[in-house]
Amino acid sequence: MGIPVFLLIVFPSLFFAGIILRTKSICSGRKGPSISQPLRDIWRLFQKSAVYSETASFVFQIAPAVYFATLLLAIALIPLGGRSGLISFKGDFVFFAALLSLGKFFNIIAALDTGSSLEGMGASREALYSMLAEPAFLITMASLALMTGHYSFHGIFGALRYGSSLSLAAGALAVFVLIIICLIENSRLPIDDPATHLELTMVHEVMILDNSGFDLGLISLAGSLKFAMYGALISNIIIPHGLAWFYIIPVFLALQISLAMLVGMIESFMARFRLNHNPQYIFTLTSISLLIFLGALIISGKIN
Amino acid sequence: MTIILLIAFIISLIHLSVSKRLKTYVSVLAFQGILLFGAAFIELIRINLVNLLFILLETIVIKSIAIPYFLNYLIRRNKITRESEPYLPDFISLVIVTAIIFGSFLLSGTMYTSINRLFFMAAFSGLFTGLYFIISRKKIITHVMGFLVMENGVFALTLAAGAQMPMLVNAGILLDIFASVLLLGIFVNKIGGILKEQEAGQLRNLKD
Amino acid sequence: MLGTYFTGALVISLLLLLNRKKNWNYILSVAFLILQCILTVYEFNHQGIQELKYFTADALAVILLVISCIISVPAFWHSYIYFSKGKWLPHEQSIYFSALVILLTSLSGAYLSGHIAVTWIFVELTTFSASALVYHRRNLRTLEGTWKYLFVCTVSLTLVFIGILFLTMALQQVGLKNLSYSNLLANAPLLNTFWLKIAFLFIFTGYTCKAGLVPMYTADIDAKDKAPSPAGALFSSVLLNAGFLGIFRFYLILSHTGIFSWAGQILMISGFLSIFVASVYMYKVKNIKRMFAYSSMEHIGLIMLALACGPIGFYAAILHLVLHSFTKSSLFFQTGQVYRIYKSKSVYDTGDYFRYNLAGALVLLSGFFILSALPPSGMFISEFLILRSLFESNHYWILAVVLLLLTWIIWSMGKNIFKLLFIPAVEPQEMSMEKIPPWESLSQFILLALVVYLGLNPPFAFTELIHNAIKNLPG
Repeated sequence: MGIPVFLLIVFPSLFFAGIILRTKSICSGRKGPSISQPLRDIWRLFQKSAVYSETASFVFQIAPAVYFATLLLAIALIPLGGRSGLISFKGDFVFFAALLSLGKFFNIIAALDTGSSLEGMGASREALYSMLAEPAFLITMASLALMTGHYSFHGIFGALRYGSSLSLAAGALAVFVLIIICLIENSRLPIDDPATHLELTMVHEVMILDNSGFDLGLISLAGSLKFAMYGALISNIIIPHGLAWFYIIPVFLALQISLAMLVGMIESFMARFRLNHNPQYIFTLTSISLLIFLGALIISGKIN
Repeated sequence: MTIILLIAFIISLIHLSVSKRLKTYVSVLAFQGILLFGAAFIELIRINLVNLLFILLETIVIKSIAIPYFLNYLIRRNKITRESEPYLPDFISLVIVTAIIFGSFLLSGTMYTSINRLFFMAAFSGLFTGLYFIISRKKIITHVMGFLVMENGVFALTLAAGAQMPMLVNAGILLDIFASVLLLGIFVNKIGGILKEQEAGQLRNLKD
Repeated sequence: MLGTYFTGALVISLLLLLNRKKNWNYILSVAFLILQCILTVYEFNHQGIQELKYFTADALAVILLVISCIISVPAFWHSYIYFSKGKWLPHEQSIYFSALVILLTSLSGAYLSGHIAVTWIFVELTTFSASALVYHRRNLRTLEGTWKYLFVCTVSLTLVFIGILFLTMALQQVGLKNLSYSNLLANAPLLNTFWLKIAFLFIFTGYTCKAGLVPMYTADIDAKDKAPSPAGALFSSVLLNAGFLGIFRFYLILSHTGIFSWAGQILMISGFLSIFVASVYMYKVKNIKRMFAYSSMEHIGLIMLALACGPIGFYAAILHLVLHSFTKSSLFFQTGQVYRIYKSKSVYDTGDYFRYNLAGALVLLSGFFILSALPPSGMFISEFLILRSLFESNHYWILAVVLLLLTWIIWSMGKNIFKLLFIPAVEPQEMSMEKIPPWESLSQFILLALVVYLGLNPPFAFTELIHNAIKNLPG
């Protein structure tokens, strides 16, 4: 039941990085690499062996695998078009957030494990940004749960209707919040710059400096998977209820591709924010999600 | 539709609390003017045409075009530096403005009315956020901008109440025009001429 | 008549603005004063008639108009003396006088208006004209005072506007639309008390900037300090009355509803805090004009306390308001002379006033006694009535603390005034001191004598007017 959904989300994710790269190149006036180029890079990395430092412990060796595994498990939770994901139970969106935190936790301690101060700096920044973005995600999801009265992803997205303009506004704001969270979690502009490797500008890239070979391939693949995961969540909110499955697939793919292109365009046209102002901008998301929560309170009639 | 405009108004207040440059303040004020124009158009469509035209003209021309242009002119002419200098760091400003919005939600919950609750939320948020900006910023021109944010909040409240009383809406708009013109036109100009730095700390001589 | 008055005043003010010759200034000012007196007499004879759809002359308006008319004569005269003694650019003088005319006109409009929004508009106009009066001399300190005054008053009057909007919502709930005072008075019991409470809070807080009460008193103090003394006299008397009027009219409307005692409690809290703050500052203050400004704050605090306590209090409040206007304005006029002699407002630079200006010193001494409500001052009677009304409405603790605070205030003020009058200054510069002829203090003696007369033997028309003003209040 959930396997087609799972495959539908995972498959296009492989091309996400390629689309983003291609969009950036075209916006800069170049032709750019082909869309499957990042896939070939990952395949090349999979064929190499990893080099492990002598000062690192087993944590460093298992971290990328744990990260990738949690990500796959998280994707298994996401429904699409009225069909549930591989796993679905009540309160699974909290489980979802916890899985992502587990993966990120392993990433962070692996970065600390290498003993490099540069990676420690990146790890601390990453921890701060995730901590600030977490309430935004949970409040948004909780508001959607409040609006629809169900507690699982499948239930929430199955029952989401946009009747009044207030619910429409809440839905639009939720999409906006999720897009920005997607940018934050993947360490894209305008929070972080994945292209430069300077101390001043790195958050995520610096954490994976010491990874190589198979591990690096896993981490790059995980990056694309994360994009697809958030894209699937966003599509769930956008796609109207009751479409037949042969309409949902093209709409879903179109949404994923346009999300990737949007990310590419944001990366091309915006500069990165000053690093010590990032906490404010990330906390703004929490404020906006608070607005969604208040809107949900009004809609669900708990407070009139 | 007004709901979306009012929610955008509240979000613009959040944006205002984290922005650092004076130009951002000015553009947010212009944006709020446009939002209020839309809201006025939808809400007041039933009153007579001349009044409606006057109100719409006032929102678009004065709030979105004339005042931002004038503020930019003053910033350029008095060579005010680009940063808005707050007394509190931006993060705390953001937390406070969020708390204000939540507080205005609770406050508007105690009102028993048939008018949409969101109007009161937008009005109170605008009012108290404007007051907060007046208190927590060092420059004199940001005091005036905080007052303009308050005015926008009051305008949202006027829309809620004044659909049947166009004279009151007119009075509120006249207040807006007069106070803004006077505050901006005469005194910031003079203050720019006499005070060298644009700090409110300079205005500390009158005390016991 | 009112239309003629407004257009006439506007024309006179425009002419004053454009004109540069002294003689024309005199003629125009006298013309305005005559116009003002004609208006006062007319309104006195035509009470209760509605004019221009929004203006009605009720008893309180007539009282305040008479006060304004009486005080504006010495205001103009002392302004002329003030301007003749310094080096002034002609346009500064014309701005001052034109703003003075607009201030008095908008005050008359505010007193006479019978519609709550029209009062608000005219009080807003007084803010603008008053700031022009404060800013006539272009230096940093007056700029600061003007900016603070303009800003705080504009914000406060925005709060009043919000209060009016809430009142509108209350009216809409019962299907009414008219915001005139008579309509509100008649329909007050029908309105939702929740909206009325919020509206009262906002309107009261907003008008405290004009009345000089807690919480918005600061700008008023600075304005009275920085403006020239005749303007400061006007701020302390007629402008304060306008603030009082705004609060009183709404309080009157509330008296017909169930939340009258709640509103009285708010007035009492604000009045008590004003007296407390005034006494604390008065202890520290060294600037004579600021001292009188804080004293105004104390008196309006007493008036608010009186308004919250029963029928005797109502009568005493209005009587006290009238007497305070005359006393305070005469004291402010006198400080103008003090400043001209010593070129400074601080208590340290002044002293031994009896030697330099006998008539002025007598004014100060008797004014201090009258202000502190010693008999035979009329204010003795009004303060006694206020304290008695506090006693009769069982507010014993407040009465005790207020008496203590009043004693403290009398001591602080007396300390400064006796220092000014009797003890020589630290470094007197006798060469540069101006000789002021005693007839310049004549107006102040007249005002002080008026206070004594109105207190001891008030004319029947006067007491009748006060009774008419409070007849709508319960009890």
